[in-house]
Formats: sequence, structure tokens, C-alpha cells
Amino acid sequence: MVNLNYERINLRKYLGLAIGAVLLLSLVACSSNNQDEGAAELTIYSGRSEEFIGPFFADFETQTGIKLNVRYGDSAELAAQLLEEGENSKADLFIAQDAGSLGAVADAGMLTALDSTVLDLVDAQYQSDDGNWIGITGRARVFAYDPTKVTELPSSIDDLLDPKWSGKIGIAPTNASFQAFITALRQLRGEAAAEQWLTALVANKPLTYEKNSMIVEAIDAGQIEIGLTNHYYIYEVAQSLGRAINVKDGFFAPGDVGNLVNVSGAGILNTAKNSAGAAELIKFLLSNESQNKFVTDTNEYSVLPDLPAPKDLPSLTEIGSPRVDLTALKDVAATQQLLVRVGLL
Amino acid sequence: MTLTQNTAAPSRKSAGGVAVPKSLSISAVAVILLASIPLGYLVIRATGSGIAVAAAVIGREKTVTTLITTISLALLVAFFALVIGVSSAWLIQRTNLPFSSLFLVLGTLALAVPSYVSTYAWIALIPNFTGFAAAVLILTLTTAPYVLLAAIAALRRIDATQEESARALGLGPTQVAKRVIWPQSRPTLLAAVLLVLLYVLSDFGAVSLLRVDTFTRVVHTMYKATYDRSAAAVVAMVLVLLAAVLIYAEQRARGRAVAAKSGLGTIRTAAKIDIGNKKYVAVAYLFVLSTASIGVPIYVLVTRFIAVSNDLDISKLVSAAAATVTAALAGALLAMLFAIPLGLLAARYKSKVSTIAESAILVTHALPGVVIGLALVALGSKLGFLYQTLPLLAFAYAVLFLAKAVGSVRTSFARVPRVFDDISHSLGYSNWQTIRKVTIPIAAPGVITGFLLVFLTAMKELPATLMLRPTGFDTLATEIWAATAISQYGKAAPYALLLVLIAALPTYLLSRPDRAQVDQSRENVGL
Repeated sequence: MVNLNYERINLRKYLGLAIGAVLLLSLVACSSNNQDEGAAELTIYSGRSEEFIGPFFADFETQTGIKLNVRYGDSAELAAQLLEEGENSKADLFIAQDAGSLGAVADAGMLTALDSTVLDLVDAQYQSDDGNWIGITGRARVFAYDPTKVTELPSSIDDLLDPKWSGKIGIAPTNASFQAFITALRQLRGEAAAEQWLTALVANKPLTYEKNSMIVEAIDAGQIEIGLTNHYYIYEVAQSLGRAINVKDGFFAPGDVGNLVNVSGAGILNTAKNSAGAAELIKFLLSNESQNKFVTDTNEYSVLPDLPAPKDLPSLTEIGSPRVDLTALKDVAATQQLLVRVGLL
Repeated sequence: MTLTQNTAAPSRKSAGGVAVPKSLSISAVAVILLASIPLGYLVIRATGSGIAVAAAVIGREKTVTTLITTISLALLVAFFALVIGVSSAWLIQRTNLPFSSLFLVLGTLALAVPSYVSTYAWIALIPNFTGFAAAVLILTLTTAPYVLLAAIAALRRIDATQEESARALGLGPTQVAKRVIWPQSRPTLLAAVLLVLLYVLSDFGAVSLLRVDTFTRVVHTMYKATYDRSAAAVVAMVLVLLAAVLIYAEQRARGRAVAAKSGLGTIRTAAKIDIGNKKYVAVAYLFVLSTASIGVPIYVLVTRFIAVSNDLDISKLVSAAAATVTAALAGALLAMLFAIPLGLLAARYKSKVSTIAESAILVTHALPGVVIGLALVALGSKLGFLYQTLPLLAFAYAVLFLAKAVGSVRTSFARVPRVFDDISHSLGYSNWQTIRKVTIPIAAPGVITGFLLVFLTAMKELPATLMLRPTGFDTLATEIWAATAISQYGKAAPYALLLVLIAALPTYLLSRPDRAQVDQSRENVGL
């Protein structure tokens, strides 16, 4: 039985080591999360990435002394999580990448109507009809293109149906931003015309990608010449590759549905323990200073009426976004059915 | 074949005679209840929508094409993973291959690379890398280590004397493989293949980036499109049924075979075969495999990292590593705590209950992380103080990866000869004392293997981690996700490299020849 004894000690040693390590490491891992007792706190579910919005949160904390507990995640998954948590949610504020995720949480009756002092800051076009969520930044749909190959720029999404683009267009049909664009197309032109446009697009053999950034990378790699994406991806990809890329943003003629301007936004939960703090943070993000910072640091559009556009880009008025009700953009289910019908999903 | 039947017979007899210890059955039932939470959640969600909605969701044409895609992907991946895993294991364990331990570690290390990272790396390298064949390649590389580890364990366990006797009786190498090696490794290999199949069913990272519509991807798409949790749950239920079919098939195929040693306690491993000049081909083969599975991801991440010359936040890196190890260790400990009663029950007191329990756990293993995450969100958010704390995250890992733990625990318990129980009883030990003082110590290597497998897998888990981690608790996996979500692959590099580095230690422990067993043989030789 000597050998059995040996092995038992072995297992105990492992167990002891493992438990010891857990205890020790949880001290290390949690030491940075010690909360200041008594200080006001605010819990945020953020679908916007830490890289881009983290600096704003840090500034807010120093300015107000309110401690922020931020959970980062994917906008849609955070929305699903909020719906699952229901009234037990710890979240005070939900910040999302797109109007769709905000709309889903609002539809469940989980968002509270914002104060008019907040709503009045932003053009009605960039907030929900019920005033329970508000846009924080604007992002424009564009065509990204290879300036060495594309000399004659399309002026409408219909120009992309020309056979000369066959096999040269990139799209990301599973992406929320593409689906929001198709939803806008259905809204503006009606179901039949939207389906007709998609069918013709499919006939032009577009290449499909999972993410917008992959479209931009494919243009840079010379695989395709043009792609439908959001305006800021050319900056993201250049930063990711650590070099200048051979891709530019182009806009269709003013008013074309291809120029849709969508928003990232925020809404306060009904169950928020600190809704005053949440409102304060929204106002902070909508302040002139923060909005200017979004424009320069993340190359997004300001939702305030008078601020300049990101460097080298036309202003929102020049772009001429189509008149689309952003609240209605959450009707993605019908869009997906359409995309399935034409074979893109 | 007589060798395997020898032990099967007495075990059947005593299974009828020995009553299941009460403490064991109570703890097993408790574990089953806890582990079935996600399944229960799914049933409630899926039925909540009413039969009409469920029928409409299932009746879509999409369901059929998704079913075909999912099944063919899973079967192809399982086939290739089996071929690669078994062939590498044979080369490493049974031939005079140079650098065999290095290749074993390299071959296992792929377990530490999240599939969304390796997929992205391949896309960065080959821009047209997309679709079904690409998914087969990536998932094969990701899952082959499961088969490799199982095959190595199986080969090490087979007593050389049996092979020698078989050869002495005039059997050729093929016959020895067929009649001695295969019957004894079959249960272990089948269990590994099942893990591979379930992995493919639940994978999201690879299939989403490569745009292959499996059920898991469809579940995700439905959440994102409609936020309709009921419809998504209905699709997930189809996934559950599919997993149940695979599990049933594996249980039928596994049969009653129990591997045996020819004497008490002694295992002598077979002598290594000299493969002569073919060893260069073998080295090239294994080199290509490890290049594809971990070389490519590391190369792409490092070159991206250098290109952007990020300034590295060391303290963030260290705290993320500490968080990863803490959560994964806690999860692995809890998983073993759950697995031991279940493994014992399944190995020793085979009954309908233990079969159903095992199936329920395996089915859970096929569920997408996002489904399990949401199930625990639904329950956890009602628990108040426990919600979004480390214990609940550890519990999520234990539930997610219990199948891995139970698998290896069961196989090693099954290998403890029943006769030891009888001896122990005759010496006056109770059932419980026997389990604690005889069975568990002998099965220790298997218990440790299960622990390390859960630890490795939990380190890279993402969807449940994002939902259930304490607020501000950043792990290596969440940092990698945060960077890759905004295409900052260079920024993800140090985190991914550290993840692989940390994983190398358990991987090394997993792949190391079993020290305890070697010592044990020596003791017995001394006797």
C-alpha cells in the first residue's frame, strides 16, 4: 500500500496548492476593485469598447467624484443580458453601439424617459420617439474604396448594381450596421423595391465578410475595390495595421439611403439606483468638450448641431443623411428574413 | 478480447450486490440539479413562446440546411481530429521520434488558443480563408489535442505484456492493434471524439468569422436580430436534441468494455519502435501540425504587435493574468468537486440514473456559452449578492465544462479494480472510507487530468465570462476580446501570448509521463 499512500499525498498537494492559489490570486485580482465606502456610484453596461469610451469615463470620475462600475460587452449581448435580468438589474445606464440594442431594451419597458434638459441638447432625429434613449455620437454609412482603382465614384447605391462592379464589392450582411442600412432601405423605398435592390446586388456577386473591418482590410489587400461600411473603420484598420492604408471613404449623393447616419447612444434604466448620476454622465458625454473629443479622438460625428465634422470628412449637412426614423431601425427581424430570402444570410 | 471480459464480469456482479452509499447518491443528485440549470432555463424559454411559434421556428427551411451543415461539420472535424490525434499519439508514445515530449506539449498547446484568435490569424494570412472547408481545418486543429491526450493516456495504460503475449501467439502488428490496443483504447477514444463533436456544436468563434451557419451561430444571429430569447431557445433545443443523439450513439458504441491490467497495479509500457528514416517524415508532419495550430496565431499576433509598437501596460497584463488564473482555478476546483460523485456513480454503480445524469451534463456541454451565460444571468440576477461575483463565475465554468471533468474522472475510476473494494471492505472500511482512502487516491492521475482540462478550457472562455464576471474583473480572454472587437489585433497579442504561456504549464503537466505510475511500477517490481 506504500504506492497508494504516495499518490494520495500527491493529490492533496495539488488540491492544497490550487486552493491556496485561488485565495491568493483573488486577493490580487480584487485588490484593485476595493470600493470607496460612501462615495456615489454608477453602474454602466457599455457596448462601446473601453479603448474608445474609457478615457471619457475616467475624466467624468475625476470631475464629479462619482465612481463608475463599467461592464463592457457586445451591445446585443448586453441587451439580451439586461432583458434577462429584468428588474433585478444592477445597471443604471446602458450605452450601446447602435440604436437597435437600445430599442430592444426600451421596448421591454426597461428604459425611463429622459429629462427634457437632456433631450433638448440633441436634434430629434438622433433620439428615440419616446425620448427614452438619446444618441451620443453619429456614424455615417459610406462606401470605402480603393482610390487607385476606383476613379469614377458611385453617386447612389443603385450605381453599385452596374455589372462593372461584379465581384468587386464587399458587404457584411450579418453586421448590425449593414442590417440597419437595409432596414432604412425598406423604410424609404418599400419592401418590394428593397428586395429588388438586394437581388440585383446579389447578382453582382458581392463578397461577404463577417466584420466591417475585414471589408476595409480586403480593399487594402487589393481583393475588392469597394465596400459598404461605416465611416470610421478606415481609421480603425490603419491603426490596427500600424501604417497608412490604400482605402478612402466616399459618400453617395446627398439624400441617398447609402448615406444613413446611425448613432451610438445611451438610456437610463427604470430600476436605476442612481438615475441622477446617470443623467449627469449623459450630459457630460453631450458636453461640447466631450463631443469635440469624440470628433478628434474616435473620428465620430457629434450629435450636437454646431460642431465640426471629423478631419477630412464632410459635415452631416453636406452628407445629407436620408430622413429615417432611427427608432424604427430596430425592426431587424424582417430585414433578416429578407436577407435570408435573397441568400445573403 | 478475453482480457477485457475478465474484469467486466465481476464488476457486473458486485454492481448488483453493493448498495450505492447514501452520501454519494445525495451529492450526485445535488450536482445533477445544479448542472441542469441551463437545460431547465432553455425548456422554460422555449416553451414560453407556445407551440405555434416553436413549430414555425423549427419548420423553417433554414433549420434543415443548418442541420446538414452542423452535422457534416461535426463529423468531418471528429474524423480528422481522430486521425491526427491518434497518429500523433502513436508517433510520440510508441516510436523513437526525436523531441517527442516537445511535440506533445506543442500538440496540446492549441487548447489554449481561443478559436476566434486562431481563425482571425488565418484570415490575416490568407485573405480568402472562409467557408466550410476553412472551418473544418480550424476546428480540427483546435480539437485534435483532445484526441491526442486521450490516445496518449490510452497507449500508456495498455500493459506491454499483453501486446507481447499477443505477438508471441503469432499475431501481426495490425492484429495486435485490432485485438489488443483498440478494445482497450476504444472507450477513451470514443469519449474524446464525443468531446470533439460537442465542441464543434458549441463553437462560436470560428464559425462566425468563417461564416458557416451552425446552430450555435444561428442562435447568436437570432439574439442579435430580434432579441427574441424564445425563438433562440427553440433553436438551442434543436441543438440539445442533436447532442443527445450523438451522446446516445457514443454510449452505445462505448459498450461495456473495461480496460484491464494483467496483474495487480503493474503497468509496463511498451518498448519504443524504431521507425528508422521515417522519423524525419514524422517530425515534418508534427512540425506542420503545430505550425498550423499555434505557429500561425502566434506569428500573426507578434507581427501585428511589432507593427503598432504598442506601449504595454504591464500592471494590466499582470492583473488580467491573475484574474484568469483565479477564475479558471476556482472553476476547475468546483468542477472536480462536482465530477467526483458523478464519476464514481457512473463508473461504479452504473444505473439508469447515472446514465441520464451523464447525458444531461454532456448535453449542457454542447450548448453555446451565450445560452449558459444567459441561463445563469436569469437565475443569478435573482440571487442578489452572489450575482456577478467570482463564485458564480466559477460555478458557470464548472457547469460549462463538467463533461470534461466527469469524462476523465469516470474513466480513471472505472480502472480501479473492484477487487480492491472487496479487500477494503474485508479490512473493515465502510463504503465511504473505501472511496476516500482507496478509490480516489488510485484514480488521482485521472482526477488531475480532468482538473487541468477544465482549467485550460475555462481560461479562454468568453461569453459567460463577459456576462458573469465581477464588474471590472478583466481576464486575459476579455482583454483579447476587447482588443479584437475593435480590430486591434496587435494590442491583443501580449494577452494572447501570455494566455498560451500560462496554458503551457498545465499542458506540460498533462502531457508528462505519469510520475506516480512509474513509481508505482517500481514499487511493485521491488515486491
